[in-house]
Amino acid sequence: MGRYGMFKQNAFMFGYSQKRLFLAQELGFKLMGFSIIVNEKEAYEKAVADGYNNVKLLDITDDMALEQLVVQDNDYLICVMDDHHLNVFLTLSLHELFPKAIVVALSDSPHTTQKLKMAGASKIIDLYQVSANRIYNILHKPVATKLVERLLTSDEDFSFKEMPIPKGSSLDGVMVDDFDFTQHAVILVGMIDERLSNQFIFITSGLENRFDVGDTIVCIGYNADLERFEEYLKL
Amino acid sequence: MKHNSFIIEVKGVDVFKNMIIKFAFFLNGSNSYKQTKEIASNFLQNQDYYYKKYFDIFMISLILVSITILVYEVKHDVPKWMDFFDIYIVTIIFTLEYLARLWVYNDWHFLVVKEYGESQFLNRKFSLWKVTKVVLKGKFEYLVSPTAIIDLLAILPAYRPLRVLRIFVLFRVFKLLRYTKSINQFLSVLSSKKFELFTLLFLLLFITITAGIAIYVFEQQKNENINSLFDALYWALITISTVGYGDISPVTPEGRVVSMVIIVTGIAMISFVTSVIVSAFSEKLTELKENRIIEEINKNEEFMIICGYGQMTRMFLKHYASEYNRRYIVIENDKEKVEEAIKEGYRAIHEDASRHDVIAKFNTDYAKITLLALTGSDIANIYITLNAKALSTKIRVITRASTDKLAKKCKLAGADSVVMPTQIANRMLFTAITQPVMYKAIYAILTGQHLAQLDEINLVFHQRLVGKKLDELNFKEHKLLCIGLQVGVSGEFIFNPPMRLHLQEEDILLLMGRKVSIEHFKMLYGEVRYV
Repeated sequence: MGRYGMFKQNAFMFGYSQKRLFLAQELGFKLMGFSIIVNEKEAYEKAVADGYNNVKLLDITDDMALEQLVVQDNDYLICVMDDHHLNVFLTLSLHELFPKAIVVALSDSPHTTQKLKMAGASKIIDLYQVSANRIYNILHKPVATKLVERLLTSDEDFSFKEMPIPKGSSLDGVMVDDFDFTQHAVILVGMIDERLSNQFIFITSGLENRFDVGDTIVCIGYNADLERFEEYLKL
Repeated sequence: MKHNSFIIEVKGVDVFKNMIIKFAFFLNGSNSYKQTKEIASNFLQNQDYYYKKYFDIFMISLILVSITILVYEVKHDVPKWMDFFDIYIVTIIFTLEYLARLWVYNDWHFLVVKEYGESQFLNRKFSLWKVTKVVLKGKFEYLVSPTAIIDLLAILPAYRPLRVLRIFVLFRVFKLLRYTKSINQFLSVLSSKKFELFTLLFLLLFITITAGIAIYVFEQQKNENINSLFDALYWALITISTVGYGDISPVTPEGRVVSMVIIVTGIAMISFVTSVIVSAFSEKLTELKENRIIEEINKNEEFMIICGYGQMTRMFLKHYASEYNRRYIVIENDKEKVEEAIKEGYRAIHEDASRHDVIAKFNTDYAKITLLALTGSDIANIYITLNAKALSTKIRVITRASTDKLAKKCKLAGADSVVMPTQIANRMLFTAITQPVMYKAIYAILTGQHLAQLDEINLVFHQRLVGKKLDELNFKEHKLLCIGLQVGVSGEFIFNPPMRLHLQEEDILLLMGRKVSIEHFKMLYGEVRYV
C-alpha cells in the first residue's frame, strides 16, 4: 500500500512520453485503477514494455472511441499530451463526455491555461509558472523552498496529512484556538469545515472555527507523529 | 686620487640603486599601498566601479561651478571667498586629480621588481636606467594624451596675473568630455566613419580653394569687397556651407556662375555628410543602447542576468519583474525574441550568453550577481553555467535542466540550484490527484497567494528579534504559524520548534500566514531591506 493509501477513484492518463514516466510510475503505484491512453503506436508499445497492463491505443480525437472508456463520477482524467493543441481539444471532449469526472491538465503558457479553463479543466498546472515560482522561491525563500520540496517528495519522512474527525473524537466540539497541537508535535495548517462551506480554510485566515465530527483537519509533521495523532483523534 | 673618486661614485650609484630596489620591493609587498592605488584607480578609471558615479558627479559640479565663476568674473567683481575657492580649492583638486591619474597610469615598482628578478635569474647586471626609461615612456605617453593635456590646461586659468590664461577656461569645458559619456559616444560613432568624413572634408577643401581662386581671378579687379585671396576663400566657404552672410557677393556673370556651382555642390555635400552621420548612428545605435543598458545595470550592487527569453523567462518576468525594480537584464541571441522582450517592457540585449566576453562585460568583481540559465537548450545552459562560474565563482547560478542526468551535469558545472520544469509539473500533478486538499495548500503557498504564504524572517535583517524567546513573539495573536527554524550557525532545520527556544543572530524563522500578517510582523520587527 502506498503512502496515501489506495484511492477509490480511477485515473486515466492521456499521453505517455519520456517526460511523464515519473508521473505514470507514481500514479500506477498509488492508484488501483490506473490506465494509460495513447494515440500513437510507439507510445503504446513503450508503455506496455514499461510494464503497464491497462494501456489503450485510441484515436483521442474520436468521441466514439472515448465514450467506450468506463469513466465514473469523480474519476481523474489527466491530459498530459505533448501536443498542447491536442491537449486542449481532448480536455474539451472529455469534459463534454464525462462532465462529472475531474479533468486535470498540463499547460505551457497563460494562453493555453485560459483555453484549458474554458474547455472545462478542473485543475491546470502551468509548467512554466510553477517553475518561475520555484526560481523566485529559491532566490528569496530558500528555507521555505526546501521545506515544500520535502513535503512534495514522497520518500521523505515528513508530510501533510488530511485527517477526518471521527465520531466520539476528543476534538469534537472543541474551538480551534483551545487545542494545543504542539503537544502532539504536529502543526494544524487548515481544515475543511463541513458545516460552513466545505472549502479548505487556512488556520491563519483568522476564522474562529469549531471542530465537529465530519470536518477534515490538515496537519504537517513527521509521518510517525501524524500517524500517532490520527490514532489519538479516534480516542 | 682619480681612481678613488670613481669608486666612491660607483658605490654611490649602487647605494642609490639598492635604495630604489628596496623601496620598490617594499611597495610591491605593501597591501595598504596596493589597496590605496586600486581605490584611486577605481575612482578615476573603472567605469564599473559603483562609487565612480559619485566622483564623476562631484567633478562635473566642480567644473561647472568653476566655469560659472570665471565667466561671471569677466564683467563683474566676484567676492573674495569665491576667488579663493576657484584659485585654491578647485585648482588644488584638479592638480591632485591630474597627479593621481599620472600615478595610476602605470606601476614603476612592479617594473623594478620584475627587472630585478629577471636580472638575478639571468645573472645579469640590474639596469635602473632601462626600467626608468620604460616607466618614463609610459608616463610620457599619458602626459601627451589629449585628455591629459586638457587636464593640465584646465588648471591654468587659476593663474590670475596672466589674464590671457583665462582663455583656458575652455579646457575646463573640454574636461567635461571625460565625464560625459554621450559626447564620447558621439565622437566614437563619428570615428567609425572616419574615412567617409575625411574624404568629404578633402572634397570640401578642394572645391572651396578652387572656387576661391576662381572668384579671385574673376572679380579681384571688379569687386570692391574682394581685396585678397583670403577674402575670396572666405566667400567660398560661407557660400558652400549655404550660410551666405551677404557681406561679399559676386558682381560679374562669371562669379555668379561660380556661386551657382558651389551652392549646388554645398547642398549635395551637406546632404552627404548628414547621411553619413545618420547611417553611422543607425549602425551603432543598437550597440550603443545595449552598452548603455549594461553600464546602467553595472551600477547596481546586486542584479540578475537572465539568459534566454523563452516561456519560463516570460513567466518569471511577468510575475516578478516589478520586484527587481529594473535590476535585471535578459540576454537572448534570437533578435526577434529580443525585440519581443523590449516591446513587453523588459530590459533585453541581443547577445550570446555562452560567450565569455559577454558575461565579462558585467561587474563580476564588485556586484552580487545572480544568473539564470533558462534557454531551451540544456547544452547551452550548462555552457553558460560553466562560463559564468569560470569568470567568477561568486556568481550565483540557477540552471534549467530537462532530466535528472542533465541536472547532475549542471551541478557538476557549478550550478548552485537546478530547476526542472517537467519534474516540478509532474510533482504538482501527482499532488493534485493524490492529495487534492494539499495541492490547494501547496499551490497557494508556492504561488505566494494572499491567503497563505510561507515566508522567511531572516534575523540578519530583523535584529530586534535576536535574543527573543519564541514564546514572546505570540504567533497566534499575529495569526501566524511558526513552521520551523533554521539555526544560523549550523544550518540545521528544526520543524515545529519548541517555544522555549531563544532566537540567535543569522537564524531564519519560517512562518506561514496571510500576506498582510507576515508583512505586519516584519514591520513590527523592523525589516532592513536592500533596495
